[in-house]
Amino acid sequence: MMNPVYILSACAISPQHSFEVENFLNLVISADDGKLFVAEPDYRRFINPVAIRRMSRQLKMGIACGMRALQLANVSMPDSIITGTGLGSMTDMEHFLKDMITLQEEALNPTFFIQSTYNSVNGWLALQTKSTGYNQTYVHRGFSIELSLLDAQMFLNEAQTSKVALVGCFDELTADYFVVKSKCEYWKESVPNSLNLLSHNHTNGTIAGEGAAFFALTNEPKQLSCALLGLKLLNLPSSKDFLQEIQGFLSKHGVELKDIDVAIVGKNGDARFEYLYDPTLAAFEVETHVLAFKHLTGEYPTASGFALWLAVQLQHWNQIPKQLILKSGTRPKRNILVINHYVLHTASLMLLQQQ
Amino acid sequence: MADRIVVTALGILSALGQGLPDHAQALSNNIQGLDHPKFLKTIHAPEFIMGEVKKSNDDLAAALQLPTGDNGYTRTTLLALTAMQQLLKQIDAPLLQDETFAFINANTVGGMCSVEDMYFDFISQKKEGYFVKYIDTLDCAESTENVVRYFGLKPHVATISTACSSSANALILGARMIKHGLVERAICGGCDAMSRFTVNGFLSLKNVDKFPCKPFDQNRNGLNLGEGAGYLLLEKESDAKARGATILAYFSGYANSNDAYHPTAPSPDGEGAFRTMKQALDSAHLHANEISYINAHGTATTNNDAAEGKAIQRLFGNSVPFSSTKPFTGHTLAAAGSIEAVFSILAMQQQIVFPNLNFETQMDELEISPVACLQTNIPIHHVISNSFGFGGNNVSLIFSKE
Repeated sequence: MMNPVYILSACAISPQHSFEVENFLNLVISADDGKLFVAEPDYRRFINPVAIRRMSRQLKMGIACGMRALQLANVSMPDSIITGTGLGSMTDMEHFLKDMITLQEEALNPTFFIQSTYNSVNGWLALQTKSTGYNQTYVHRGFSIELSLLDAQMFLNEAQTSKVALVGCFDELTADYFVVKSKCEYWKESVPNSLNLLSHNHTNGTIAGEGAAFFALTNEPKQLSCALLGLKLLNLPSSKDFLQEIQGFLSKHGVELKDIDVAIVGKNGDARFEYLYDPTLAAFEVETHVLAFKHLTGEYPTASGFALWLAVQLQHWNQIPKQLILKSGTRPKRNILVINHYVLHTASLMLLQQQ
Repeated sequence: MADRIVVTALGILSALGQGLPDHAQALSNNIQGLDHPKFLKTIHAPEFIMGEVKKSNDDLAAALQLPTGDNGYTRTTLLALTAMQQLLKQIDAPLLQDETFAFINANTVGGMCSVEDMYFDFISQKKEGYFVKYIDTLDCAESTENVVRYFGLKPHVATISTACSSSANALILGARMIKHGLVERAICGGCDAMSRFTVNGFLSLKNVDKFPCKPFDQNRNGLNLGEGAGYLLLEKESDAKARGATILAYFSGYANSNDAYHPTAPSPDGEGAFRTMKQALDSAHLHANEISYINAHGTATTNNDAAEGKAIQRLFGNSVPFSSTKPFTGHTLAAAGSIEAVFSILAMQQQIVFPNLNFETQMDELEISPVACLQTNIPIHHVISNSFGFGGNNVSLIFSKE
């Protein structure tokens, strides 16, 4: 079994004030139209001013988030850059595709084509940090950030010396994407205010969101860091198997369900998927904190990146923001389990331990 | 010594045909697969030649016992299924049912080849129509998930997208997952169907040749696009031997490193390509002079061939034969790494060095030149295969006979 890896820093660009963490979700942002867009930071602090003019939103989001995570970890050049995205740069793809159709395949601008390439954020991060090390991009729906973390864990386990991997994810919400996915029952037809999403769990669909999250990971045990003990990726879970899978996963890491102090769950108010979470949540101890986050971020393929950012923040703040709390607990926040489901039949588990 | 990773089955589909015999036949008889596309509906078809798989979507679907017409399967998926079907025929079905194994796929634009024909329906207020069958096919994982569903597999899945090095990266990931004990076997590779999106993307970059491409030639004028799919089954040598499998090759080394130079262009001195090949040699514990053949990335773009050529010259001098097989297949993008991995194995099996078609004029920047004519009866022990992509993503793979 692989050794744990240690999270040195975490940065999230999300619909909430997560980029500059002066307070931990004291003031939350909500939406009434079923779409949560990120609060964009000042990108010029992190990106070459000449290059930034032609960059799309997602490219800026990814690069700035990655650079900030390195800055927080006090690392200038990571040994590896690994990212995951479910959608890639939708804006660039849509732009190039629509131009191609309307201009009938003539006189197209290559910038949108280049930026629509799924690994363009990776390329830029390597360029900006001069990192010539291992560089990888996963594009696999609800597994994209999980696969990146798994790869990073392998990379850091393969290393003989102390190494740092920059791992991150990004997904962007566009008007087109919202329309397209409304045709496959992704979104609620009767839309509550986003803060009330989780109690509107009797109808199908959720609300749309977006975000980026990046982490600096190392193989060297660090005090006061959050350790990622392991990950599990699950296909087509059923509720019974799901609880068994969780228990099996935990026991592999020497932990039981009762040892979990904080559970961060990807409940998204969609009636179709409640069955997955409910038996698990019922099985936790009464003292376990249960937190949810998709009413703050909306749903997107790499939303579990935000959950991981939350897990890291919990260590730095005494108080758990009340907006996150699904069930109040009393435990110290040591063993954290992230449970996330994504609409295209996948679920993932991440087990973390505060050091 | 740690267990080595071996290749025990493979599936391949490209403009040259389907399966190993078709490819062996074409590659050893100078039969290239490029032509004006017949199935891709682009206004550029009369002007440009491409490496299109010579089967319609209906032909591919029928051979897979799928309904023809708008069946919800993109050409990307149909190519993947066809290559995977060949691979799976070579192994006992239960092998992949009982144990943990991974299916690691690679792709650049998902089902764009279908989506681009119906995008305005996608974003209209219309909720019904044949386009609905394709609504979840735009992302890179659509072919991965369809392969898994079609064959009734339950693997650990992953989809990689790093432009033109994607499937080479898939092979590396598979080998690493086996070494870490996460899975026992991995089917790794990639697929890409030509789309108007991709063709026009490369045309907008002005690096596409209308005529057959000329890798490593002074007068090279860009690439020809292609399509296809290639998959390889990887496992530990001991596992392969225990089940009596034929070992096709040893996957003896690999490296992934980044140029960190420019979003699309390689470092002009070939530093990135040099570093990647060197690291791959180190990982295989081989010296440069032990390599028998270099299967170059060789896209025939001005930048790539200058950078890659300089790197080859610096690392190998003029002692190792090299060629690009892109003039045979076109650049199959995400599939190129795995397709050329198959070619590397073929070179070892047949003891041949494939010709770098269309080479005429020595490049000014280089003192070395590619193999212009087929070489036979060449003892080939180790082959290095390069795949370099946008975003500076460089991969070198090494396959060995023993």
